[in-house]
Amino acid sequence: MKRIALLALAVVAYGIAAWMVAPGFYDGFGPPQPYNFTCPPPQAGANTKPSSGHLEIKVIGGVSDANSAFTDDGQLVIGFLPGAFMAAGKTSITVDIKPLGTCPTPAGIRFVTNVYQVSADATIDPSKPANLVLRFSNLVPNPSTVYLASDPNGPWTTLTTQPGQPFTVETRTATLGYFAAGYPAGSPPPGSVTVGGSQALPIIVAILIAVVVLAGLPIAVIRRRR
Amino acid sequence: MLAVEWTRAVAMRQPGLAIPGLVLGGAALALAAWRIPPAKLGLGTTRFGLRVLGGLALGAVLLLPAAVRSSAVPLLPAGLAVAAVAVSIGEEVAFRGALYAALEDAGGAPLAIIGSTVMWTLAHALSHPLPFLGAVAAAGLLLALWRWACNDLIGPIVGHVIADLAL
Repeated sequence: MKRIALLALAVVAYGIAAWMVAPGFYDGFGPPQPYNFTCPPPQAGANTKPSSGHLEIKVIGGVSDANSAFTDDGQLVIGFLPGAFMAAGKTSITVDIKPLGTCPTPAGIRFVTNVYQVSADATIDPSKPANLVLRFSNLVPNPSTVYLASDPNGPWTTLTTQPGQPFTVETRTATLGYFAAGYPAGSPPPGSVTVGGSQALPIIVAILIAVVVLAGLPIAVIRRRR
Repeated sequence: MLAVEWTRAVAMRQPGLAIPGLVLGGAALALAAWRIPPAKLGLGTTRFGLRVLGGLALGAVLLLPAAVRSSAVPLLPAGLAVAAVAVSIGEEVAFRGALYAALEDAGGAPLAIIGSTVMWTLAHALSHPLPFLGAVAAAGLLLALWRWACNDLIGPIVGHVIADLAL
């Protein structure tokens, strides 16, 4: 009985501990840190608001330095090449990154990241586009595209996107504005061929419980008769 | 074991190394049980059906908090499934198998349960954010207690594989 009681206590302790964090903590498949959502999905658990970022780029001899701006939580990083900005007459260039306080849902697009406004007090030289990296959460489908708009109400245009490090997407842009990663609403989410999945898990657990009960009851009855 | 787990965690941060890292890491961990009799690892074959059934129950317990949230499920790419199985088996054989047996010989069941749980949690320190380590530790404690209470490693292996596959 003591052993069963300790096991039961461990089950309760695990349930409480697992409930306090977003699911998906097994063996490092998740991202290195939880995503900070502007509008957290119900499954996100405790959520921290996303951070903003600020960068002063030096301009020496009319040429802007190479540098990277990023949000404090690392969810957006944008890197600029030397001379990336039209910097005539400037001694420095200010770059600001701000997460939008709302979560636009444009027709035909599903955003899976926050929308970020990236602005600078100079324009980018089209021949030297910036490299932009967006991190996304493991609680949402993988994005296929980075979208850009000059206004959060749209219209949104697609940027050529490539996968980056795990749970990141990368693109290059010569235009600043509002950025978010997502996928076309009319198509299945990229990477949707999965083991598990939002609808599968409750079914899996229900089947496991049913099997344990259905197989366990006869065994218990047989053992009692003995 | 810690070196293997930490190396695996670092390797998985590099593009394209997630699957090799998991498979090789799982295989390396399983080597910890080299030359240890299966029965000492908890891998006996008596009451095999019950052991598997226990593993299914453990899997249900491990997945239940996520399942209750319904849509709260991260999506494990199918390509990682085999790798998830490999690392699950490797971790169970190493932590609740070889390490548990060695600690039990050295200081009895309490040392084996606590020691294997602490090492298991430390092993995940690089691959998991700090807030997740409480849940990792609680899962390790549950699996170690099962190993002690039932003298069985089949159940933890089955439960761990199910949990990794579904999450």
